[in-house]
Amino acid sequence: MEGHERNLYLYDRFNARVVGVSRDDVITLKYFAKSLGLTFPLLSNPTGFLGVSFDTLVEGRPVFRRRTVIIDKTGIIRYSRDGSPDFKDVLLFLKKLNQEGGKK
Amino acid sequence: MMRKSLTILYSLLIVAWLTGCATVETPKPVPYKVMPGGMVVWEDEIEFKIPPREWKLLRVEVGENDINFGFMRSDPGGFPSVTTFAYDEEPFGCSAASFEGREREFFKRFLFNAILQFQILERKKVQVVGGEGLQVDVEGKDPIKGEKVRARVVFGKRGERIIGFYITQWRPMAGTYDLSAFEVFDKFVSSFKYLKKSFYETL
Repeated sequence: MEGHERNLYLYDRFNARVVGVSRDDVITLKYFAKSLGLTFPLLSNPTGFLGVSFDTLVEGRPVFRRRTVIIDKTGIIRYSRDGSPDFKDVLLFLKKLNQEGGKK
Repeated sequence: MMRKSLTILYSLLIVAWLTGCATVETPKPVPYKVMPGGMVVWEDEIEFKIPPREWKLLRVEVGENDINFGFMRSDPGGFPSVTTFAYDEEPFGCSAASFEGREREFFKRFLFNAILQFQILERKKVQVVGGEGLQVDVEGKDPIKGEKVRARVVFGKRGERIIGFYITQWRPMAGTYDLSAFEVFDKFVSSFKYLKKSFYETL
C-alpha cells in the first residue's frame, strides 16, 4: 500500500486512480490508512462481493488472494496479477494504456 | 560382450551424472562490477566505494524489485553484536515532500519487530548523493531482552523520490559501540553516485 502511495504522482501523470479493497470494516481501514499515511480510498467489502466478482476467492477457504487489477476507462479489465504488486510493471502498463488512450 | 556393453552403459550414466553436477554449480551472475580504485558499479546504475574486506555483502529481497543491498559485519562480544548497513531505494513511509515527514513515518516501522524505545541522539542536514539530505542518529533499547542498538539513518533524494541509507549496530545492554563502523558507513554514503536516471525518472 505504501508503494501505491509513493506512486500517486505517477498515477496522476498517467490519468489513473488507485483504490484498495479489503474485507476489513471501515473503522479498521481508517486506522490502517492513518497509520501508513495513505491518502487514496480504501473500500470496505465485508461481504466479499468484490472478491468474488474478481475471482480471487481461495478454494475451500474464506479468504481472498491479493490481486492487482487495472480497469480501463471503458470498464474493461486490462491487467490482472496475483501476489504482491510489481509496481514497475504496473507503472509501465499504465504508461502504455495512457499513451493508447491519447491516440484515440 | 555383455560385460563390455554394461561398462559402456555405466560410463554413460556417470557422464550424465557429472554433467548434472556441472549444471548445478554454474555460478550465478553477480549484479556488480569491481572497478579499479576500490569502487563498485552496481547493476550499471550506482557507483560506491567498496567497504573493507570484513564486510560481507547482504542482498535484501523485498519482492518489489527496487534496489536494496547492504553489508554486514559480525562484531566481537556476545549476542547480538553485529553491524549492518544498507542502501534502500524505497525506505519505509510515503512522504516525498519533506525529509522530516518521511523521518516520522520511517521510525514508525524501522526495526519494529524489536519493539525498541528509541531516543534521537542527533538530527542534522547533510549533503548526500549530490543534494540536501537529513541524517538522524538514534539509540534504541530493549530492556526486556537486554539489548540495544545504535543507528544512523540518512535520507536523500533521487529524482522526486526519497531514498535512504541506514546502519544499525546491535549490542548487549552492557556492550560498547564501535563507532569506527559508522565511519565506514559514512564513506560508503559519501562515495555513492548515480550513474543514470532511476526507473521512475524515465517514466
